[in-house]
Amino acid sequence: MKSRFLKKLLSAALAVTTCAGIVTGMTGCEGGSSDEIKIGLLFSKTGATAITEECMINAAQMAIDEVNDAGGINGKKLTYVLEDYATDAATAAEKIKKLIMQDEVIATVGCYTSASRIACEPVVEDNDSLLIYPTFYEGEEPSKNVVYTGAVPNQQGDIFVPWLAENVGKKFFLLGTDTVYAQLINSQCRASLDACGGEVVGEEYVPNAHNDFSSIITKIKEADPDVLFVNLNGDSGVAFFKQYKQYGLDASTMPVASYLLDESTVAALGAETAAGHYTSINYVSTLDTDANKEFLKKYHEKFGDDAEMTVVGEETYVSVKLLAEALKKTDDYSAASIIKAMDGITLDVPEGQVKFDPETNHLYLRGRIAKVSDEGKFEVVYESPELIKPDPTK
Amino acid sequence: MFIAAQLINGISASALLLIYSLGVVVIMGHMNVVNMAHGECIMLGAYVCYYINTVAGAPFFVALIMSFVVTALFGLLIERLVIRKLYGKTAETLLATYALSLIVKQLVNLICGSELKYIAIPFEGHLDIGGVTIPYYNIFIILFAAVILLVTWIIFYKTPFGTKMRAVTSNRPMTECLGINAHAVDSLTFAFGVGLAGLAGAVLAPIRGVSPFMGASYITDSFINVCVGGLQSMIGTTLSSLLIGESTSILGGFWNEVDAKILVFLIVVVLIRFRPDGLFRKEKR
Repeated sequence: MKSRFLKKLLSAALAVTTCAGIVTGMTGCEGGSSDEIKIGLLFSKTGATAITEECMINAAQMAIDEVNDAGGINGKKLTYVLEDYATDAATAAEKIKKLIMQDEVIATVGCYTSASRIACEPVVEDNDSLLIYPTFYEGEEPSKNVVYTGAVPNQQGDIFVPWLAENVGKKFFLLGTDTVYAQLINSQCRASLDACGGEVVGEEYVPNAHNDFSSIITKIKEADPDVLFVNLNGDSGVAFFKQYKQYGLDASTMPVASYLLDESTVAALGAETAAGHYTSINYVSTLDTDANKEFLKKYHEKFGDDAEMTVVGEETYVSVKLLAEALKKTDDYSAASIIKAMDGITLDVPEGQVKFDPETNHLYLRGRIAKVSDEGKFEVVYESPELIKPDPTK
Repeated sequence: MFIAAQLINGISASALLLIYSLGVVVIMGHMNVVNMAHGECIMLGAYVCYYINTVAGAPFFVALIMSFVVTALFGLLIERLVIRKLYGKTAETLLATYALSLIVKQLVNLICGSELKYIAIPFEGHLDIGGVTIPYYNIFIILFAAVILLVTWIIFYKTPFGTKMRAVTSNRPMTECLGINAHAVDSLTFAFGVGLAGLAGAVLAPIRGVSPFMGASYITDSFINVCVGGLQSMIGTTLSSLLIGESTSILGGFWNEVDAKILVFLIVVVLIRFRPDGLFRKEKR
């Protein structure tokens, strides 16, 4: 009896939701009228990465305003719906589904964590929608429904390791959180060191959220490397840098090189602990170009002088600009034709020129190596002469 | 030299472990409350330290004392509101404090933001003895652990309050019959335990980073440590801190951190299998 009642209730509920779906679907159709194009923005406004993603939301809104001020997409206005995925992969999948089905966005710019991107991929693939992912990440076999505007390891590591070997020293000590990302990065570092005559004098992994590095630092001292190649997640990274300083290691003789050293980590470390260490990335906010200064000026006017710009913010701005350019070239808003329209696009953005690579759906980017100055600012010490071709499966 | 260095690293690791486990000895050992929010109490202490030391610019020692005071007041509050209703129901305390830990974590995240906070290391520099490096702050940690262990021991065994508290632990109805206000004793004991966790947070903050989610790193270790030591025993917990801290450091030194952690947990499981009450069991009458 009870189960039959439940079944009835369930089917009634299903009928109601289907009806609701049809109704909202219809209004959605009317809303997506001829004079505007709607896109989705999917970022965390709450949750562990909300602080990082605030800059991404700001940058996306600024780029959308700029597109509209310059006449929109062939006269149509670019509008957006912003959803919060709260640094949770399952929520991200749910929200992007809502954006596609209910809001009928033609494409979504968003996701910061790899986990959220991976959760969204099947959803955009099943619904033949488009996700533009604006974060540097570990690389993967590209999805045909995703465009990636951040750097992949080869665009950071190919210049980083040889440059360090030549300018800092050839003996490397590799340290990372015990994750697929760090193991991959370290094996790439090893290969690249072999090629330029360097050597690995130690390799260590620590469990997630590990924060006592005294044993490891003793090992590092024994091994006496020239460069510490360190990719530790979040809190672990900060604990390591602080204990590095505590145990009297010195950035002038044994600097740390890390992909995960960004503006926010430097703030948590303080300038005196962060100074002298290196990172490799395509954009830093201290980049000394007219385009970047102009960009930052506008950004600070809009969001206040304290608003920090980071690499992921800039990459989000690039994502929106790339999408807008592609939409100008096509009337068919399916994922395949938008991506096809991106072919051949080069953009002048704050980081310089970038170019779409139709083979991988990633961008050709300029590699940059930056060192933290005594004041805690990133100083670019090397720029790759050419744009580097993305190789996300390397 | 390498062994000497790892042994000394082990001592400071043990001291830290002891500092952040003592609160559990008090609350779980003496009150039978499984405080799943222990990690968050540590986190609150770390935040108090951040606001007083970094933001307000007061000396580190002031921040230490304030961390204890503020988290102890927080402990008093939750004892009155939640824990008081749940004495004697261990499973319920576990659920209630787990919920509390989620609430506190998210509140701090909303109010203070999720980015890591900066606290300068109070004693910069290090000692070099024949190639073995000992940071001054680690020496401070070892001394500090000894001091709070001693103070806690004196409070428990040499003061009238400690006597009342132990009386409540061993026979509550009888103690009440003697005219001792068991409720007041409970409140103060719980607040003291939480205050110890806050103090631990303040000591950890300069070297480990401060974030709303930092508590998770400490709760497992402290519970395991106290279980190995024998719930109520301070000496037991001290010894098990040494055992766990040293074996992690030495195994980590000669092997690697991931496998060392697994092996230490394995040893603990075997130990608990044969001595379910831990190394030092309180004789029950």
